[in-house]
Amino acid sequence: MVSYLIRRFAFLVITLVLASIVLFVLLRLLPGDPANALLSVGATKEQIAAAREHVGENLPLVAQFFRWFGQLARLDLGTSYISGLPVGPEIVQRLVVTVPLTLMAFVLAVIIAVPVGFVAAYKSHRWYGILLSAISQLGIAVPVFWIGVLLVTLFALTLKVLPAGGFPQDDWADPGAALQSLALPVVTVALVMSASVTRYVRSAVLDVLDSDYLRSSRALGAGFAEAMWRHGLRNASVPVISILGIELATTFLGAVVVESVFALPGLGSMLLTSIAQHDYPDIQGVLFVSTFVVLVVGFLADFVQRLVDPRLRASVNGNRFASGRRRAARA
Amino acid sequence: MSGDVASLPPVVRVANRTTGRRRSATLWIGVVLVGIILVTALVSFVWLPYSPEDISGGRLAPPSAAHWAGTDKLGRDLLTQLIIGARIALEVGAGSVVLGGVIGLLLGLASAFAQRWLDDGLSAVLDVLIAFPTLLVAMLVVAASGASLGSAILAIGLAMSAVVARLTRILAKRVLSLDYITAARVSGTRWPGLVVQHVLPNIWPTVVVNLALQFGLAVLAEASLSYLGLGSPPPNASWGSILQQAQGTVLVAPIGAIAPGVLLVVLVIGVNLVADGLRDVGDPTRRRRS
Amino acid sequence: MKKKLGLATGVALVAALALAACSGTSTSPTKPVSATINIGSVYEPQNLDNTAGGGQGVTEALNGNVYEGLFRLTDSGKVQNLLASSYTKSSDGLTYTFTLRSGVTFHSGDKLTSKDVKYSIDKVTAADSQSARKSSLTVIKSIDTPDDATVVVHLSSRSISLPYNLSYVWIIDHSAKNLKTSEDGTGPYELGTWKHGSSLSLDRSSKYWGTPAKNAGVVFHYYSDATALNNALLTNAVDVVTSEQSPDALTQFTGNASYKVTDGKSTTKLLLAFNDKVAPFDKVEVRKAITSAIDNKKLLASIWGKYGTLIGSMVPPTDPWYENLTKVNPYDVTLAKKELAEAGYAKGFTFTLDTPNYDPHPAAAQIIKSDLAKVGITVKINIITPDTWYSKVYQAHDFEATMQEHVNDRDVVFYGNPDFYWGYDNPKVTAWVKEAEEAQTTAGQTALLKKVNTQIADDAASDWLYLYPQIVVASSKLSGYPVNGLNSQFYAYDIVKK
Repeated sequence: MVSYLIRRFAFLVITLVLASIVLFVLLRLLPGDPANALLSVGATKEQIAAAREHVGENLPLVAQFFRWFGQLARLDLGTSYISGLPVGPEIVQRLVVTVPLTLMAFVLAVIIAVPVGFVAAYKSHRWYGILLSAISQLGIAVPVFWIGVLLVTLFALTLKVLPAGGFPQDDWADPGAALQSLALPVVTVALVMSASVTRYVRSAVLDVLDSDYLRSSRALGAGFAEAMWRHGLRNASVPVISILGIELATTFLGAVVVESVFALPGLGSMLLTSIAQHDYPDIQGVLFVSTFVVLVVGFLADFVQRLVDPRLRASVNGNRFASGRRRAARA
Repeated sequence: MSGDVASLPPVVRVANRTTGRRRSATLWIGVVLVGIILVTALVSFVWLPYSPEDISGGRLAPPSAAHWAGTDKLGRDLLTQLIIGARIALEVGAGSVVLGGVIGLLLGLASAFAQRWLDDGLSAVLDVLIAFPTLLVAMLVVAASGASLGSAILAIGLAMSAVVARLTRILAKRVLSLDYITAARVSGTRWPGLVVQHVLPNIWPTVVVNLALQFGLAVLAEASLSYLGLGSPPPNASWGSILQQAQGTVLVAPIGAIAPGVLLVVLVIGVNLVADGLRDVGDPTRRRRS
Repeated sequence: MKKKLGLATGVALVAALALAACSGTSTSPTKPVSATINIGSVYEPQNLDNTAGGGQGVTEALNGNVYEGLFRLTDSGKVQNLLASSYTKSSDGLTYTFTLRSGVTFHSGDKLTSKDVKYSIDKVTAADSQSARKSSLTVIKSIDTPDDATVVVHLSSRSISLPYNLSYVWIIDHSAKNLKTSEDGTGPYELGTWKHGSSLSLDRSSKYWGTPAKNAGVVFHYYSDATALNNALLTNAVDVVTSEQSPDALTQFTGNASYKVTDGKSTTKLLLAFNDKVAPFDKVEVRKAITSAIDNKKLLASIWGKYGTLIGSMVPPTDPWYENLTKVNPYDVTLAKKELAEAGYAKGFTFTLDTPNYDPHPAAAQIIKSDLAKVGITVKINIITPDTWYSKVYQAHDFEATMQEHVNDRDVVFYGNPDFYWGYDNPKVTAWVKEAEEAQTTAGQTALLKKVNTQIADDAASDWLYLYPQIVVASSKLSGYPVNGLNSQFYAYDIVKK
């Protein structure tokens, strides 16, 4: 287990370093001039040149990279070309919105999806099992922004019980107000996410219901509930955990759409603005932090999966087995 | 999230344990739903109610005999735009599936046949790539090449290729580890022969089903991109753009904000049902547990 | 098994939290504190320094509110003394002596002195300044500060617009630092917090030298699209919207007694700008033909409904040298065809229209395309990002025709610059613009700029499609807000809420 953790951690660090290099190079391949965002109609040639110098475009690419990498090593993500704000604190400011949004939506989705998926599988031949399954089929086909627009129209504009968008100026100083602002975005994300998680839960439970060990356990005299509890749930949760890891990561990164619908100042909206302005330090910072989050969540999902799955814990050559299995589950 | 290629249902694992009758019902409902959209899209090539640029309808007109779905904020016929949107949705789906399928299949096969270190490296890269939502990749590509249908297809196809590559790699490896393949290898069959004779016929059904699911996800991803204002603008707009343009007037003229969403759902459900149906047709003797 | 129980408890806890969140949401949205005014806008400042590319948002939020100039441009377009209590002009018009108002302090507590004024003007004219006013202040040769209360400005040539141009120069404490993210001005408000991507708050200053602001503070809330902005107003998250971007949502407010819609005067013009240096747009007849072939009235009605104004040339009605010139190139398809034939393009031609990708440009381009098709001209619409517009059109002049909004007042003088992106080069106009600036009297200046305005219309230097409306929508409880969007400034200090 320890050697597994060390290897997995080394992989994490190496990937992060590689990702930062790739990010830097790819961004510099984007056409467009970050200096342009600073200019207005009426700007003179000298002003254009000054703007270029200001954003550091006059330095050679390699020098720019090492400057960035040097800052990174000191946990400094640099300063925005456009706003002059330090990137790190700004990202933290954005995470105050995006992280609670993602986590609450995730938890709500799991709360909805696990029982629904279980019933959809266990009662797969009853009408309500089929209905639940059909609803989840519908859920994965619905665009997230559309749900958002419909919820805003209903709850904010028509019933006027919840804010249509925005986030309190003083963040979480008034938790009630902050939660109100996040209520509709959380529900929007959770509805879509729970549809897809339900499908995985249902499938995993069906696998278990079909399994020989459950049948033999029952043949040996255990009641269904006991057999399910002792063997079923643990086995069913293994594939679901890796799926949850991926769902969590993609929701975090995909929050940009929901943030756009609800005018939330999150990480996604920061990325959208900075891409439009070619604000490289901002884009780099957001993508770097996002990569980090994705890798860490993947790491945690693997770890939890190992804790839960007795076969993985016991296996000698666990690493390859685990990653192979994880890939199969994700594919 | 629905817009992500990465969060596709695991084809290998999600078994469709339904009776034969219900299976074919699933397939047929799917075919009908996709058929409706497909016919609409084909019709758009030969006939449209109005020119998409015709602004003679009056601003935000309600539905009438002349404009069945009303008009948009510039007076353009909404039905015309929705019909064009069907064509665009199918173009995005088909374009990115072809692109992502070809690249993904080649990469996946290469990885399956490659030396271990190369295979490990490739699959590590794919692991990281897959974790990034299509939308994020698409945002960057569109920022680089400008908002157009072509760049959306390129971006979505590229993101999809990572998913397809990983699936192909796993499936191909599974085939390659079978005893009779080892026998064929020993008896001197070269890798092109192996691919054509053994690997492709075996993995094909699963890959096709997966590509069908990817089709739906690609359509959703493009809709999100358009919604963020990174798609091509009206009058030749995708459903996502139409919805984004109409959301400001949802209380005054709700059709523009509702109809594109309904059509998206119809198409994506249809494609998913077809994928489910195909899975059973393509693999009637599917194993009970994977 | 223990582990799983732990996990279950954790899940239950978070579930409870989520439930609490849901129950907490059933109450109505928080009412803003009555003494604070919430302002909604789509123009977030890019940074807080108007000499470093802060954009139009920084003017809206900080001009006159946090920072003040020697002069103030009022909402109706007049220039008043502000930090300058008086000034004298030498007989040759080359030396201006400004006396500073006494008793003015910066928010940091430092006293306003002539040194700060010199520093502030130098900052605008400095090599690395991105100020849009930089070119009009290059006539300043040197600045003397004989004592703390006196500033003497020496010019290289006469400049009748100097006080006007100085109204854009914010007087900043010369020892201030980090002006992109903080401030040190003399205005009635001090910067509270700027939450990038979301909001910017201003608090009433206790140190203000003049009449204090009538409200305790204002918060500018920024939205990236008009829908979210209007929704905020509908749900009372903001009290006023500084400028509506489209007429579509206005029906929600016009028929509602809780809101007041004001149709003010704007200085933003939508231009179809030709590259006057390339064929076929180097021919006056071709430009006139296109101008006559496009039905501007229909175009305006399509985009703005009953709002907006046709102007026929570059000068908006709030500039002192405005004249209605819509008759110079009337909408007349027959005339357009005749002019095209005279220019040798009887069969029409094809050109590419570089169109910014945001509203209203793509829609306007479609309408232009269908109008021009009627006279045999084929338009290829090329949708580009603002960034591409800047490098391709503005810097490289690599275009045939384009569309752009020009937001500033008094910007007809751009036609006197032959190197400007549209490449209009009429030596008469260049000379008149220069003479107007060196005029002895405002009357002389006005007469000359009227000639400029008429000449560019005669030459159809560009097609001035229409003047935007400036629509402010506010809660009917609100009063004292500015209604004209001159240069997108928005003085907040007189706003009160019942």
